[in-house]
Amino acid sequence: MRRSARAALLIGWLLALAGLGWMISQRLHVSTDLRSFMPAPTTPDQRLLMEQVGEGPGSRLLLLAIGRSCASGNCSLHCSDSGIPAVACARGTGPSMAGAGQSDAKLAALSQGLAAALKKDPRYSQVLNGSFDLAALDANLLPYRYLLSPTLDAQPLDEAYLADQLQQRLDDLSSPAASLLKGLLPRDPTLEVLKLAEAWAPAKSPELRDGVWFSPQGEALLLVQTAAAGFDPGAQQQSIDGIRQTFAALPDSAGAALELSGPGYFSMVAAAQTRHQADWIGRISTVGFIALLLLAYRSFSSLLLSALPIASAALAGIAALTLAFPEVHGITLAFGFTLLGVAQEYPIRVLSHRRAGEDALASVRALWPLLLTAIASACIAYLAFYASGVNGLKQLAVFTIVGLLVAGFSTRYLLPHLLPRRVRDVADMRWLIEARRFVDRLPRPRWIPVLVAAAVVAMLALARGPFWQDNLAALTPLPPDLLQHDARLREALGAPDVRYLLVLEAPTAQGVLALSEQLQPRVDALLAQHAADALELPSRYLPTVALQRERQQKLPDRATLQHALDEASQGLPFRADLFQPFVDDVEAARQLPPLTPQRYAQTPLGQRLAAMLVERDGHWLGLGTVSGVHDVAALQALGENTRGAVRLLDMKAASESLVVDYRTRILQALLVAAISLVLTIAFALRSLRRAWHVLAPMTLATFLVLAVERVAGIEISLFHLVALILAGGLGLHYALFFERDTGDPAEQRRTLHATLVCVLSALLVFGMLAWATIPVLRAIGLTVSLGVAFHFCLSILMAPHARQD
Amino acid sequence: MGLLLPLWASASASEPTPAASSAPALIAALGQPAPAHTAFAEARFLQVLDRPLVVSGELSWLGGDRLQRRVDRPQQETSTIADGEVTQQRPGKSPRRFSLKRAPQLQVLLDSFVALLGGDAARLQQAFEIRQHGDAAGAWTLTLVPRDARVAKTVASIRIDGYAKVSRCMHMQEADGDLAVDLLGPLAARMPAEPTREALQALCQGEP
Repeated sequence: MRRSARAALLIGWLLALAGLGWMISQRLHVSTDLRSFMPAPTTPDQRLLMEQVGEGPGSRLLLLAIGRSCASGNCSLHCSDSGIPAVACARGTGPSMAGAGQSDAKLAALSQGLAAALKKDPRYSQVLNGSFDLAALDANLLPYRYLLSPTLDAQPLDEAYLADQLQQRLDDLSSPAASLLKGLLPRDPTLEVLKLAEAWAPAKSPELRDGVWFSPQGEALLLVQTAAAGFDPGAQQQSIDGIRQTFAALPDSAGAALELSGPGYFSMVAAAQTRHQADWIGRISTVGFIALLLLAYRSFSSLLLSALPIASAALAGIAALTLAFPEVHGITLAFGFTLLGVAQEYPIRVLSHRRAGEDALASVRALWPLLLTAIASACIAYLAFYASGVNGLKQLAVFTIVGLLVAGFSTRYLLPHLLPRRVRDVADMRWLIEARRFVDRLPRPRWIPVLVAAAVVAMLALARGPFWQDNLAALTPLPPDLLQHDARLREALGAPDVRYLLVLEAPTAQGVLALSEQLQPRVDALLAQHAADALELPSRYLPTVALQRERQQKLPDRATLQHALDEASQGLPFRADLFQPFVDDVEAARQLPPLTPQRYAQTPLGQRLAAMLVERDGHWLGLGTVSGVHDVAALQALGENTRGAVRLLDMKAASESLVVDYRTRILQALLVAAISLVLTIAFALRSLRRAWHVLAPMTLATFLVLAVERVAGIEISLFHLVALILAGGLGLHYALFFERDTGDPAEQRRTLHATLVCVLSALLVFGMLAWATIPVLRAIGLTVSLGVAFHFCLSILMAPHARQD
Repeated sequence: MGLLLPLWASASASEPTPAASSAPALIAALGQPAPAHTAFAEARFLQVLDRPLVVSGELSWLGGDRLQRRVDRPQQETSTIADGEVTQQRPGKSPRRFSLKRAPQLQVLLDSFVALLGGDAARLQQAFEIRQHGDAAGAWTLTLVPRDARVAKTVASIRIDGYAKVSRCMHMQEADGDLAVDLLGPLAARMPAEPTREALQALCQGEP
């Protein structure tokens, strides 16, 4: 091809890539929500998990602590009595009261400022900081306290009760608590508002200072519920960024430090850590990879050009995804790029197999049948993943099949035209001749497969511990100090557990509330037995319409109440007409339409209820949050004889059962893939015996990796499986090329060269990953590295024509 | 409020000249070793009530920041301030606890009372602006205004009347107009059955 034509081809190719890139930038929506990668749920619990995991009240909760920031050390967390100045570490008692008071006041002001700003932001559905203002039950709703509070269920609002209450208030007024109650007295002499506030406060409410929650360590505490799903790291990142920006924008926030915790924060941290480590390992191994290829081919232009098929594969794969699916999952892309590692082999094979003076096109033509067999068989195998029906796996299949085809065909039809005409034939290199001789001299006893198979069986039998790792969270573990911090804040705030949820189901919202009311006495009994520290049911925030009506009917009319009040305050020094606002409120409460979830939803407290009472497909679900579970069986017993209307959802168990389903789907797909691979290879090579020589080492090596990892105590996860598939794809190439009988020693040497370059580059890239500290990266790195090594050794030792050499 | 105005008028008419130099000496002279106990009778004039609430009992400084207020009449009640927490106990009821931070009045009471009984002028000056009227040998009045703006929102001022080395009365003027007057020591026995602000004023400022 002429120089100008080559330039035109190169430019055209680059333009096409740029076009694909542009299209992707326009269309690609990456979803980070784990749920969209998971298989369709089958059991009711799984369904609930998928619907609720991200949206459940517990998982959307962020725990915030505003502490004093210290330039040196971490004194905001650990206030010891020695060495740290009192201002930085005041505890709020003792003679340094004035200093600590101001400091507390500042933190409290920050807490109030942050809460006020976040309450206006639609990204957060609830913000609590302990300041119970009557505004939480806004002024119009204040008379509803007589319909919401259970006090009057057992106790009519009559003269005897009022007399007792008024006497108690008189005692209160002469006690040190007077100032706490003085303001409430005229409107609420029975302190119904305080009773509600007590009932609605978190089960174990933190200490109040300056009107907001404080931890024992002197940090102001807040609870923020995000609108975004808890296990969507991308959306959580935005919510968390929003909180940080709001905080930074507050005046006086410079001297204070904001710390976060909670599931959403964790999912974000885990994603960021994994990405960070993958990035720096990726950078190092890229440099190594480039150095290796330069060393192998001594041509800079060859190196750059050989990157084109891979780049085309990746871009075309993503482009195909954006056309076929509305959203692409982040994990699909991560898995997909891993699997696409196979495609790097295609240009390497071409570069290694070039002969001196021969046109690149001619070398490719000679290689193409074998390369095509490899590509076709890999694509057919991945079709099995498409057939699995799981959205994430379908995406993975589309991405890899399109990518491999594009990489293969561009290597065959485009790359050769661009490669430099003159190259050095690697076959003449002295070390390669020596290496080939060494390989050819290796003994290849027929009993090797039997021995390896026996070893595999023995190792699998000997391995201890569970075979599968189904806890996906274990693959991206969090630093222990983060977990400790979370435990401390959760304890201080009495925030609910993320793992358990008591689910109530009924056809209507009122039905759920009724169920919740029926359940309340049994729940109270369980709490008294310490089965859990707290269990919060939706009816705690809103009684049924029926119960509200019942309470309404018990309220006395204005004349009766006024009379009772007059009688009750006989002889007491209360100012005449002091309690007029009280009488007005009770009268108003008698006339009110009962509070419905819809009306309630417009109030700050209603949002709390909205998180606990949700509609799903014409059904209503009540989600009871549980904290500090001590006796799971006792809680599960709540669901007995309810025919599923009440059940304890164990999110961990449900998510693990999802992963098990997922794994089953992958294994089924793998089985189908293996069968189609055998058929394809047998058909392509037109010989079962030759197919055996290709497939046997590959299969044995795959099981050998599994066995070695199991003996090393590694539990196998989804990520190990995907890595095994990649290693299998690479192994297929080694076996195919070693099996090829060309009868030409120089060509055999080139094959060895190409395979060595491929093996070394794979070992370099994935060997680096094997050193990662994050288990998910280590799983992929270790599995692929072991796989590549075993595939290489076994395909050499089991190559068929060694006897003829 | 009608009752209140003459009181304020009289207070401002006899506005004392600040005598910061002699206040520390006076306060130091009031100091007693812990534990110190004194009888008290308190009248609270509250806007929500037609007539004042009267209770009596014993105030004890247990040393440090611990203070106990025991009410014997009309009903038994013991309130203890310790470690930043207030515990309120009545016979036959479970104790009620709340943080001192939620009750600025109590914080002020603690600060002023402990500092006075401890003779700790520095602490008193840290928490309050102090004005003295009269001299340490005869009848005197200390007026304390909280320095913390947050506290001042609920407690406008505290006035202590005394004679020589003995504090006789403590007036806590709340920002909303409510007033608590505590007669201390032997004076406690002289609390009228139906006290008025004027009668108490006369008792506190009269000859011992």
